Amino acid sequence: MAGPGIAWYLGIAAFLFGTGALGVLVRRNPIIVLLSLEIMLNGGNLALIAFARHAGNGAGQIFALTVMAVAASEVCVGLGLVVAIHRRRLTLDVDELSELRG
Amino acid sequence: MISGAWLCLFAPLAGTLLILLAGNRIPRVAAGWISTASVFVAFAGAIWSFFGLRAQSDRSGYLSTAWTWLQSGSFKVGLTVLVDPLSTMMMLVVAGVGGLIVLYSIGYMDGDDEERRYFAYMSLFVFSMLMLVEGGNLLLLLVGWGLVGLSSYLLIGFWHERPSAVAAAKKAFVMNAIGDATMALSFFVIIAHSSSLEFGTSFDLAGSLSPTAINLVALGLLGGAVAKSAQIPLQTWLPDAMEGPTPVSALIHAATMVTAGVYLIARTHTIFEHARTVELAAAGLGALTLVVAGLIALVQTDIKRVIAYSTMSQIGYMFLGVGVGAYANGMFHLMTHAFFKALLFLAAGVLIHALGGEQDIRRMRGIGALMPLTRWAFLAGALALVGIPPFSGFFSKDSIIAAALHDHWYGALLAIAGLVGAFLTGLYTFRLYFLVFPGEPSAFVREHLHLHHGKEGPPTMLLPVGILALLAVFGGFLQFSPVWHPLTNWLDPVARTLTAAEPTNRQEAISSVIAVALGLGGIGLAWALYGRGERAVPHVAALQRILEHKFYFDEAYDALFYKPAAQLATWLRRDFEEPVVLATGTDLGEGALELGEGVRRLQTGLLRTYVLFLGTGLAIVGVIFLAIR
Repeated sequence: MAGPGIAWYLGIAAFLFGTGALGVLVRRNPIIVLLSLEIMLNGGNLALIAFARHAGNGAGQIFALTVMAVAASEVCVGLGLVVAIHRRRLTLDVDELSELRG
Repeated sequence: MISGAWLCLFAPLAGTLLILLAGNRIPRVAAGWISTASVFVAFAGAIWSFFGLRAQSDRSGYLSTAWTWLQSGSFKVGLTVLVDPLSTMMMLVVAGVGGLIVLYSIGYMDGDDEERRYFAYMSLFVFSMLMLVEGGNLLLLLVGWGLVGLSSYLLIGFWHERPSAVAAAKKAFVMNAIGDATMALSFFVIIAHSSSLEFGTSFDLAGSLSPTAINLVALGLLGGAVAKSAQIPLQTWLPDAMEGPTPVSALIHAATMVTAGVYLIARTHTIFEHARTVELAAAGLGALTLVVAGLIALVQTDIKRVIAYSTMSQIGYMFLGVGVGAYANGMFHLMTHAFFKALLFLAAGVLIHALGGEQDIRRMRGIGALMPLTRWAFLAGALALVGIPPFSGFFSKDSIIAAALHDHWYGALLAIAGLVGAFLTGLYTFRLYFLVFPGEPSAFVREHLHLHHGKEGPPTMLLPVGILALLAVFGGFLQFSPVWHPLTNWLDPVARTLTAAEPTNRQEAISSVIAVALGLGGIGLAWALYGRGERAVPHVAALQRILEHKFYFDEAYDALFYKPAAQLATWLRRDFEEPVVLATGTDLGEGALELGEGVRRLQTGLLRTYVLFLGTGLAIVGVIFLAIR
């Protein structure tokens, strides 16, 4: 089977995941945070598909499809929350939204 | 014959269940009639088994087992009824007198809030007592014994909104529980030696036991009998039990409960005969009780309490009788006593009912003029109680004193106690009579007397009083010791009178003459002291104080048992429960609170710190997995 080896795929997947994680950790705008989460999920997806191809069965692809569905619903809810926060005229800053502090 | 016994046993239980299950669906009056009918059905069953047994040539007893109730190895106990002369006699007395009392209750309790509960308990009481007398083995006897204690508790505390009634019910229950415990212990000894509680095997065993064991068994049984029959030293619950409704007192004193101790000794007389010392101790306790109770009755001012002490005193006679071995005489007195004591209580109940609940004899003066029927009925009961011929008490009581007289110096001592008791009986009974009935009606009576449509009471109350009055007058002719003695013959197969307790005709005559003379003397003294109604209690300060405190039994038990227990409890609470048990809980709570305060700081509310923790955690887990692999 032609094409780059599995290590390459995994490298890019890890890079995507790391970029997303860094974004979640350092950015304060909730929209960007959500966006970074999507990048992390896609990193995961890439790894799943790479392994599926490597192992020669379709289970990983099914997982990837499930992850996409979850990601889509998560974005729906997340963006809905962002809009609701904006409507209440609260600042769009995750550090300001610390109502749950103990 | 056997079917009659089963019918007799379960009819009252069926009555109880019917009333309880029907609840509000039946009118209140119906509960009373169901209960009455169930007890009279039991009486019919008793008559059936009586005539059935009479037709047999061998009357030593017939057992019928419904099913095996408990089985463990060779130990086996069935639900068994026994039909023998002793049990049929008790069935007749319990169901007959009990039925009259329940019938009377319909009139007496009319209008009470909880009539249904009352009548359910009454039927249960009769059932318990029938269980006790019909049970075909010792365990069933103990079952009946316990059930009688329970139903008396329920009925004494029937007016549960009165604290004194609740306290009296508790006291009766606790005192009886002591007796139940000693009885159970003696049964354990029997089981240990014979692995059976059948009457037959237990009695056969009695001869082969060591003296210690047989004395222990007899002592345990005596403990039960003393508690249930309110003899010294477990007598203090009986006068307090007057807190219950009057028909309940009548039922406890006449048909059920207190006579159980006498029945027990007569039933297990084989055991007692092998432990003759204990049996004579029972007679001694009876003699002591009959004198002490007679003395206390002299100063009581509550009509029911006077009668209650007279019951203690009369049960003392029965103990004396069965203790010296005159079982038939004791049982005969049990029967006549059931008649005249039920009569006295029910007649007193008519007075109390008409006076709206008043029980103080000092206020009842002169009520006889307004209630002549009750007066005559009460007089018949009082004469029977004192033992004036030809009233029933004469025949039964004097035969007991005569039987005691036969047994050497100890017997003579007992007979003297019995004669002193006869004098006291005359004195306290007619003190009560002279204080309450003759003379001009007092202002209190005229003001508070409420006649029932111009009669002394509703027919349901007057009919039982009338029947019992007839029985109290004529019931004694059943047996006249030296001349004819059908009852002794009847009981002969199960409880043969000991030869030591068979007096000569001369002894019978002497004891009768002295007893009657002393009884009359008591009546005369009562007339001299109280006939004019000037005072209600004798004026001998020191003596009076002792008697009014009932010889300080209550105070002594208080100091001996209650106070130490209460002090121990206080001490345990102060030094153990509060510092140790309670404090542990508090400390645990405070510790959890402090821990929570500490952990709270981790909840920063900053999303990014959470993510950092999450990532750090994942990294650590990853490193651990890699390291382990």
